[in-house]
Amino acid sequence: MLDKKHVPHLLMVFPFLALFAVFFLYPIVSGFVYSFYDWNATTTSRFVGLANYQRVIHSRDFSKAMWNLGSYIVITVPVGIAVAFCLALLVESFKGFWQNFFRSIFFMPVVLPMFLAATIWRWIYTPNIGLLNTIRGLFGLPSVQFLNDTSTMLYSLIAVDIWVSAGFNMVIILAGMKNIPRHYYEAARLDGASKLQEILYITIPMLYPVLFFVTTYGVISALQVFDTPWLLTGSSFSQYGGRQNALLFPVMDMMGRGFGELKFGQAAAYGFILTTVIVSVTAVMFALRKKGHQP
Amino acid sequence: MTTDVGLIRSAAPNYALDLSIWTVLKWTVAICVAIVAVFPIVWMVNVVFAEPGVPVSINPRLLPTSLSAGIAKINTILSETGYLHAYYISITYSLLTIAGVLLFGSMAAFEFALFEFPGKRPMFAIVMLSLMVPTAVTLIPTYLLTANLGWLNTMQGLVVPGLASAFGLFMLIQFMRTIPREMIEAARLDGASHFQIYRHIALPMSRNALVTLAILTFMQTWGNFIWPLIVAPSPQMYTVGQVVGLFNAPFSHVTVDIVMAANLLAALPPLIFFLLFQRKIVEGIAMSGSKG
Repeated sequence: MLDKKHVPHLLMVFPFLALFAVFFLYPIVSGFVYSFYDWNATTTSRFVGLANYQRVIHSRDFSKAMWNLGSYIVITVPVGIAVAFCLALLVESFKGFWQNFFRSIFFMPVVLPMFLAATIWRWIYTPNIGLLNTIRGLFGLPSVQFLNDTSTMLYSLIAVDIWVSAGFNMVIILAGMKNIPRHYYEAARLDGASKLQEILYITIPMLYPVLFFVTTYGVISALQVFDTPWLLTGSSFSQYGGRQNALLFPVMDMMGRGFGELKFGQAAAYGFILTTVIVSVTAVMFALRKKGHQP
Repeated sequence: MTTDVGLIRSAAPNYALDLSIWTVLKWTVAICVAIVAVFPIVWMVNVVFAEPGVPVSINPRLLPTSLSAGIAKINTILSETGYLHAYYISITYSLLTIAGVLLFGSMAAFEFALFEFPGKRPMFAIVMLSLMVPTAVTLIPTYLLTANLGWLNTMQGLVVPGLASAFGLFMLIQFMRTIPREMIEAARLDGASHFQIYRHIALPMSRNALVTLAILTFMQTWGNFIWPLIVAPSPQMYTVGQVVGLFNAPFSHVTVDIVMAANLLAALPPLIFFLLFQRKIVEGIAMSGSKG
């Protein structure tokens, strides 16, 4: 049976694995069970089968949140990565001190906690007296309600999001660029390739794994977006999502159902629906990557 | 517009002129981006360090104008709100989380990286799979479990559920794999116990990885908004993030400069950390990304 010599090994891994089992594996299993029960604060729990799932999927907030999420991801991920890639190229074109300097400066927004970035931007977006509207005023443009006009709200969120995340992705892309062997560029230059050609035919293909990682990670975290839209809108369990729910996202909706309406069964079901979406999207991305590798 | 450095280099006569246009352009873009990156932070500082009464956003200035006004605002916040207490909570929360993540993570990583024992492979696989599970699915059940344990509004409720960091474990394993087995064998022959090998060889040799993980954990804990929000809703347990959230609430009736003073106080620890450890932070993120 258990060999005595293995005891010290198991003792050393035990604290981590015990915490992991209790605070990670058990919640997943219990969440799955909760998602089949009705759990209002007033009633005792009772088994309702798939009713929670149906209620979530057929609710108007759910379709609104999913629609918002789709429009958000389709813009924020590609634009964010394009910006990060350009920043990485820009930083890479500097040498020595200035390279480190600009890398650090561009990275600065990442260091700020998300809740701070959102709060600062909320004030920058303020109608009439906010910084952006003051600048618009200088050019004689009318004040825009960036966070209260359904046609601009999503873009206001995406701007904050890219401001926060570009530096993070840039650092990862830069690390990838450092791994591209110098002689590839030298050979291309001897063949008379232009800078643009170098980027298209060497940098981007060689960065493929890194760009894949950044995209996958970006999509997975974008699917779970919470802090920024929460703080840019009402930021309380009774008021969130902003005007006409234009900034309502699934995790916010889930939190609202759980802690605002105390419908924990629905919230748990919501979590599993969201997880299914995240896992499927990730699986599709990995499948596409495999396909992309074949000539 | 030619950004065509390759061709420019071969066209000798125009070399100096074109290259300087390219250089000027490059610097202009870099400086503009730098301004966009730091401007909100600088603006926050300016709003705080300005005479009260004049809304700074109406009259944007480039430099802070009044040191004493800023200090007065910070004093107001520290004395009239629970900010100092929130600072204490946030710092305790961060330090305990760092200590736990490093201790339990390094103990487990030591075993997973360097030894064979029954059940190692399946255990490792499950922990690694968990890196793909989104927080959305565990958030509410973990909250309910914490509530059932009677840990709402307690420090252990904040800290303990976050200690089994699969990311931290993964990072430390990657690092400890590089420790030479011969060193461990030699120590064992010298009569060192298993725990002594961990304490006196594995830990000192993975110092860099531990420091990086500590910094990343600090940033993450300090910036964690959602977990304190649900698990510690009582004002006695407010973290800095929650206090900032209160200032941010739509009917809080505070002026922008007071809000920004609150923000500035919350931003200081991570900004100072960044200035001190920027290389480690950037490398840590690059490492976790390129290995992912």
